[in-house]
Amino acid sequence: MWISMGPQHPMTHGLWTLKVKVDGETVVDTIPDLGYIHRGVEKICESREFTKITTYCDRLCYASANTWSHSYIYAAEDLLEVEVPERAEYIRVIAIELQRIASHLMWLGAFCPDVGNLTAFVWCLREREMMLDLLQELGGSRMHYNFPRIGGVKRDLPIGFAMRARAKLNLFLNRIQETEQLLDESTVFLVRTQGVGYAKPEEMVNYGVTGPNVRAGGVNYDVRWAHPYSVYDQLDWQVSVERPSIKGADSYDRYRVRVDEMRQSALMCLDALNKIPGGAETHYSEGDPMIITKAKERAEEGKTGFHHFEDSRGESMFYMVGGGDQRGKYPYRISIRSPMFITLPYASKCMIGYKVADIPAIMGSFDPCIGETDR
Amino acid sequence: MADEAQNYSMFNSQGLVDVVGDTTDAALEASSLKKFISVLGGRFFNWGQRKSLFPLHLGIKCCALEMAAAGGPRFDAERFGVFFRSSPRQCDILLVNGPISKKFSDPIVRLWEQMPEPKWCIAMGECAISGGPYYQSYNILEGVNTLIPVDVYIPGCPPRPEALIDGFAHLRKKIMKMGVKSSSERVGDAPIIIGDD
Amino acid sequence: MKIREEYAEEAAQQIVDAAVLRWQGTRLEAEVRHHKSGMARPYVYINCPRNHWRAVAKWLRFEMGVDHCSMITGIHWPDGPDDCKWEVVAHLMRMNVINPPERGGWTKQVIRDPNILQDDDVPMEFEVSISIPDTRSPSVQSVQEVWMGADWNEKETWDLVGIDFEGHENMRRVLQPHDTPVGFHPLQRQHKIRYHDFEYMYDDAQGFGRKAIDEGKIK
Repeated sequence: MWISMGPQHPMTHGLWTLKVKVDGETVVDTIPDLGYIHRGVEKICESREFTKITTYCDRLCYASANTWSHSYIYAAEDLLEVEVPERAEYIRVIAIELQRIASHLMWLGAFCPDVGNLTAFVWCLREREMMLDLLQELGGSRMHYNFPRIGGVKRDLPIGFAMRARAKLNLFLNRIQETEQLLDESTVFLVRTQGVGYAKPEEMVNYGVTGPNVRAGGVNYDVRWAHPYSVYDQLDWQVSVERPSIKGADSYDRYRVRVDEMRQSALMCLDALNKIPGGAETHYSEGDPMIITKAKERAEEGKTGFHHFEDSRGESMFYMVGGGDQRGKYPYRISIRSPMFITLPYASKCMIGYKVADIPAIMGSFDPCIGETDR
Repeated sequence: MADEAQNYSMFNSQGLVDVVGDTTDAALEASSLKKFISVLGGRFFNWGQRKSLFPLHLGIKCCALEMAAAGGPRFDAERFGVFFRSSPRQCDILLVNGPISKKFSDPIVRLWEQMPEPKWCIAMGECAISGGPYYQSYNILEGVNTLIPVDVYIPGCPPRPEALIDGFAHLRKKIMKMGVKSSSERVGDAPIIIGDD
Repeated sequence: MKIREEYAEEAAQQIVDAAVLRWQGTRLEAEVRHHKSGMARPYVYINCPRNHWRAVAKWLRFEMGVDHCSMITGIHWPDGPDDCKWEVVAHLMRMNVINPPERGGWTKQVIRDPNILQDDDVPMEFEVSISIPDTRSPSVQSVQEVWMGADWNEKETWDLVGIDFEGHENMRRVLQPHDTPVGFHPLQRQHKIRYHDFEYMYDDAQGFGRKAIDEGKIK
C-alpha cells in the first residue's frame, strides 16, 4: 500500500512528497518526489549581472544563506579572476561559520520535536536568535544578507562587534553543552535515534553524499582541508568525524557530528577574531582596499569557473560559463550542485526496512533543505 | 404503516427538532430576546474566532523560517492565540510563505478547499504576493492571489517576525469590525497591506 | 592544516601523464589547469570524445580512484562551433575514501594529516567536458553504473537541458512537474524567461517616472 507523505507535512522539513510503500508498519519502498519549489534560478540568472545573482544564491538554501552566497562568490571570482584581500577572507570566514552554527541550530530545533523533545526546539531557537543578532550586525538583515561582494565583502566588522561576538560565542559554547546534556540523557531521544537509518560509508561516497552525513560514517572528508580555499588553513580547527558501528552511521551519529561541528565553528570564529589582519576592533569604511578590490564586470566567452565549497549540508558547487548576453555582463550558464539533491534519494533508500514511525527520525537526521534541492 | 407513521410523527426526531425549534423561535421573537441572544452570541463567537486564529503548518520557503521564529521564544506568537495545526481541517488561516510553482498550485488549492469556513488567507513575503524575485521564472505563478483570495499581504523578503505578528493583529481588528464572514462573502473586500500606513 | 601545493601539482601532473599514456590514439586531451583566484589550486581538465565517455569514466573510477561524482550538467551552444552545439560537463573528485577499519564491532577513525598526503592520496578535482555535434536529440552514454551519484544528476540534465543519456534506467522528470509537455526543456537557449524584453524594474512601482516610449508596457 502506498502512502503519500504529501507536500504539506509537519515532519518533512520542506515541500516535497515521499511516497512510502508499507507492508503493515514496515517500509518496503520509497519514492521521493521533488520540484514543488523549482524556481528556475539557473535560467533567471542567465539574465542578471554577476552582482545581482548573489541575492538569488542567498535564497537557494534559506536556512544557510551566507554559505550559499559565498559559494557563488568564490566561483564568480574564479570566473572573473579577482584577488581578494586577506582581511575580507577573514570576515567571510566569520560570516560563514556563524551561519553554519545558525543552520545547525535550526536543524536541531526542527529535528528534536520530530523525535519527541519539544524543549530543545525552544532552546535552539533561542541560541539561533543570538547568532542571528550577530549576523544582523554584519549583514543588515536576519536572513538574506547579500553580504559578500565579488572581490571582498560589503562592509567591515562594526565597532564593538568583536566584543559582542566573543561574549555571545562563549555563552553559546556553554549553552550547547546544556542542550547536548538534555538530549544525551533523554532515554526517548536515544531510543528513537540510535539504531535507525544505518548508512554505510562506502555506499554514501558512491552516491555522492558529502558533508556531515558522510563524516558521521567515519569518512574524514571535508572540502575545507582537502581543497582548501579562503583562510581555513591558517585557523586552528579539527574535523568533526564520528566513530560509527560496523553497520554504518545511524541518526545518532549524524546528530553528534553536527553538534561537534557547531562547537568547531564557534572556536573557528573566535580564532578568526584573534587572527584577523588589521585587528578586530578597527573598522575600515566601505570600499576600502583592505576589504574589497574592484572586480571587472564582464567575462569573455570561453572562460569558465567553478568552486567546491563546504556548505552546512555537504559539498556545494557552482559552475559558471562566461560570455552571456550584453557582451559578457551576464553569465552564459550557471550550474548549481546542491548536496541535498543527491542526498535525498539516498536518505529515502535508508528508510527501507524500518517502521513508519522511524521515518521522521531518519529523514530529519539527514537535514533536508528543499530550497537548494529544487533550485 | 403510513397511518402509524402519521400517529408517531411528533416523536420522530426530525419532526421533534422542528417543533421545538419553531416554538422556541416564536417565543424568543415575541419577547424580543432573540435579538439580544443573537447579538451576544455573535460577539462571543467573534471574540473566540479572532483570539484563536490557527494557521496551517505549511512551510514553503524562506518565510517559513521567519514563521518558525515568530513561534519561537523571542517573538512568541502563541501568546496571541496563534497555534500552528498540521491538518487543514482544523485551521482558520492559510499562511502562504513562499512562491507557488505550477506543481504546487493544485495541492494548495486543495488545502484551501479542505479548510472549513470561515477561513482567511495571508500572503507572506514577496514570492506569495507577486512572484517576488522569481517573477520571470517559467515555473512560478505571479502571486498566490491568482489562485486564492488573499486577505492580508505582508511584504518583505523575508518580513520580520514582528511584521507577521502585526499582520495577525490587523486581521484581528478586521474581524472585530466586519464580523466573521465566510470567504465567499468577502470577495469584494479590500485586502490589508501591512506597512501601508 | 592543508595539502602541500607542490604535492598537489605533482599529483595532478601524474594523472595527466597517465591519461595521455592510456588514451594515446584517441582525441582525448588532458591538461593541468589552475583556479584563477585564491590559492590557484590545480585541477585536471579532460576533453573526452563522445564515444569514449563510458570507458574513460570506468578508467577514472577503477584505476585512478575517482570515487565521487559531484555534478553532471549540460550546456546548449546554438551559436557555437559545429562540433560543439551541446556540451556535457562532469565534475568529479578523487576523495580517497579510506573505509574506516573495523575492530570488535566498532570502526576505528582514520584521521590523516593533510601535510603528508602525496601522489595518489592527494584529493583532486576533475572537470571532464564532452562535446556533442549539432543534432535534434543530443545524447551521451550514461555512467549510472560507474557512479551512483550520477543518477539524479543525469535525470536533472535531461529534465532541464534535454540531453539524453543512453542506458539510463528510469529516466523521468525530476524538477519540473510530471505533466510538462514532452520536449520542453527550459534551459535551452530558444526559451526565454517571462518579460525578457524589459529586465530593468522601474524604481517607481506605479510608473510615475516612466519614459514616454514605455507608455502602455506592462512591467
